[in-house]
Amino acid sequence: MNWFQEDTMEPIKLRHNKMANLNIESAKDRSYDAIVIGSGISGGWSAKELCEKGLKTLVLERGRDVQHVKDYPTTNLYPWEFEHRNELPYAIKQENPIVNRCYAFHEDAAHFFVKDKEHPYVQEKPFDWIRGYQVGGKSLLWARQTQRWSDFDFEGPARDGFAVDWPIRYQDIKPWYDHVERFAGISGNKDGLPELPDGEFLPGYPLNVVEKYFKEQVERKFPGRKVISARCAHLSKPNQIHLDQGRVQCQNRTLCQRGCPFGGYFSSNASTLPWAAKTGNLTMRPNSVVHSILYDENKGKAVGVKVIDRETKEEIDFYAKVIFVNAAALNSTLILLNSKSKRFENGLGNDSGTLGKYVAFHNYSARISADYEGLLEYKTDGRNPAGGGYIPRFRNLHKQETDFLRGYAAGFGAYRSSWSDESGLGADLKDSILSPKYGNWGVGSHMMGETIPKESNYVALDGQQKDEWGIPLLKISVDYDDNDAKMKKDYLDTMEEMFTSAGFTNIRRNESSQAPGLDIHEMGGARMGKDPKTSVLNSWHQVHACPNVYVTDGASMTSTSTQNPSLTYMAFSARAVDHAVNELKKGNI
Amino acid sequence: MNRRTALKQMFIMAGGIMIATSCDFSSKSPSIQLNQIKLNHDDELFLAELVEAIIPQTDSPGAKELNLHLFVMKMLDDCTSPEDQKKFLDGLKAAHQVKGKPLAEQQAYLTSLDKDDIFFNILKRRTIQGYKNSEYVMKNKLVYELVPGRYNGAYKIEA
Repeated sequence: MNWFQEDTMEPIKLRHNKMANLNIESAKDRSYDAIVIGSGISGGWSAKELCEKGLKTLVLERGRDVQHVKDYPTTNLYPWEFEHRNELPYAIKQENPIVNRCYAFHEDAAHFFVKDKEHPYVQEKPFDWIRGYQVGGKSLLWARQTQRWSDFDFEGPARDGFAVDWPIRYQDIKPWYDHVERFAGISGNKDGLPELPDGEFLPGYPLNVVEKYFKEQVERKFPGRKVISARCAHLSKPNQIHLDQGRVQCQNRTLCQRGCPFGGYFSSNASTLPWAAKTGNLTMRPNSVVHSILYDENKGKAVGVKVIDRETKEEIDFYAKVIFVNAAALNSTLILLNSKSKRFENGLGNDSGTLGKYVAFHNYSARISADYEGLLEYKTDGRNPAGGGYIPRFRNLHKQETDFLRGYAAGFGAYRSSWSDESGLGADLKDSILSPKYGNWGVGSHMMGETIPKESNYVALDGQQKDEWGIPLLKISVDYDDNDAKMKKDYLDTMEEMFTSAGFTNIRRNESSQAPGLDIHEMGGARMGKDPKTSVLNSWHQVHACPNVYVTDGASMTSTSTQNPSLTYMAFSARAVDHAVNELKKGNI
Repeated sequence: MNRRTALKQMFIMAGGIMIATSCDFSSKSPSIQLNQIKLNHDDELFLAELVEAIIPQTDSPGAKELNLHLFVMKMLDDCTSPEDQKKFLDGLKAAHQVKGKPLAEQQAYLTSLDKDDIFFNILKRRTIQGYKNSEYVMKNKLVYELVPGRYNGAYKIEA
């Protein structure tokens, strides 16, 4: 797949003959109908929808190009083909204390992660900012869990009196969930739960025999609590629309972080970007670090984007009628903060002073594991890309019932362990290694807690330090609070009770001291709201005071819910593009 | 020709470590390039004896034939802290007393070491890791599937 339009070859010229070309290039040649900043999950969706609707669209990606399959160098390697058997060298771990804490940062995928020194930021409080700067962004690396939000989530802030009311409800977004699910390919079962609405599903992956046992135990003994198959963005049984994207059935490799040669899971690289390119309307420009959005005081709207070339450090302005900001939550917020003009002295759309504030995340800081000594006549065979079970939020669901606000969802998985006695030496050791014995089942769960957005959890531009492209470093000041601590204890107590009740033994509570950020679910910074005095974006993701700028990624989130957010960003992006195109047609933006 | 094929023609893949065949090794140099630690060719030969003492040839290849001493050296060089590298090299020096001795004597020596001995722990752990993850074992013994293409969550184990 070639991103570049063959008729003009413009980006290729830009890349290879930049200076000469730019001097003769007029602003007209740098003008598009739409600009999308970022090519990750939300940017890929914005680009696909804009291109399909006929808009000439420029996608600006700050990182290098990554083409589907071709640029997945490790994807087909066997374990013994990794120089260090997938372990990263000591020096790399020492140099990268932040990204090294990420569960997927190993020899097979390290090339898709930002290294600590490459892109520094200021931690007023510890925050592990995990980033993927390349075409496709973190969509190559995500955990692929995809649950819809419901009105239990959208009505949360209003019901429980925190943040501001979401300006939308489930019915606003439902058709767009349908739309993105059909194209992306989401596997799951129709579970009929109002708190986790069913979608346009491909067949769900089964719970294994112990996960199923736990489901039966929980649902019988704890009314209102459910254990379901995790819903995930994998092609369990592809439809024509997926085959048309060049993707085929997921082959259960569970090596997703390397990039999938089958396109078995959804990524921008496998799905939305090549689809956008096929329309002939896409121009992809990697190595384009966005400095700011250009605001025209006379026209009273945004007119383009200032880019610094990552490699040459050259400054280039691109122009468009509408701009989609999809740089991922904190970087989208950073771009808005750095887009200063006479009209917006404190950042684009920051009339309310809330830009950069009310940042929240998911609390993943507790896990619990145990053994199960039953069902030993079974094991699993093959691998489950969904990862196992999912426990939707039950705590404080219908009404407030604890001394903390909101609640948590949880993952749940069971695996049959095997072991071999490795205490000896010589032929006995060798025999033992080659004839492993089955052990007990191991079971485990992790919490995904909703955190409360607060003004005191914020990001801002650092006053002094700039990066090598002349952009102020982002200063991050985000922390847990008392609500998180109470919720964490409740999760551990509640899961322990459920584990005990199911007959699990050797229960081990694990309270991690991980910093916010490592959940990679940072949200907020340019939140949506009904009132321009207390929010940055309106119900269509338009900047209140600059309506031809849309922000449809994690930055737009008013609250965090407990569900993994990516599916919602996809739906937001598609919905906002539809709105933008209609507004353009009407001449409103 | 793609890059991988080209690379494979330039190098022999052995135990996952590329050994440059065209280089002319002096008698002092080990057969893989080391960046942090210093080991000579004699050390390499001795390490081959030691990994073989841990996982010997039986009716199937042992650690030496699978080049696991090179894997131990690679991991020692790249994936070990400077402190532990030093302790390993000290331990290796001390172990020289069993160099060239029969396998049983070498095994007895290793067994006599303290169970927290860094040299022994690294040697054994990396040998076992390299063995389990070797092409030979993963293709012939504990078979690794790159592309399972299936999931069964209730697979009955044959009694």
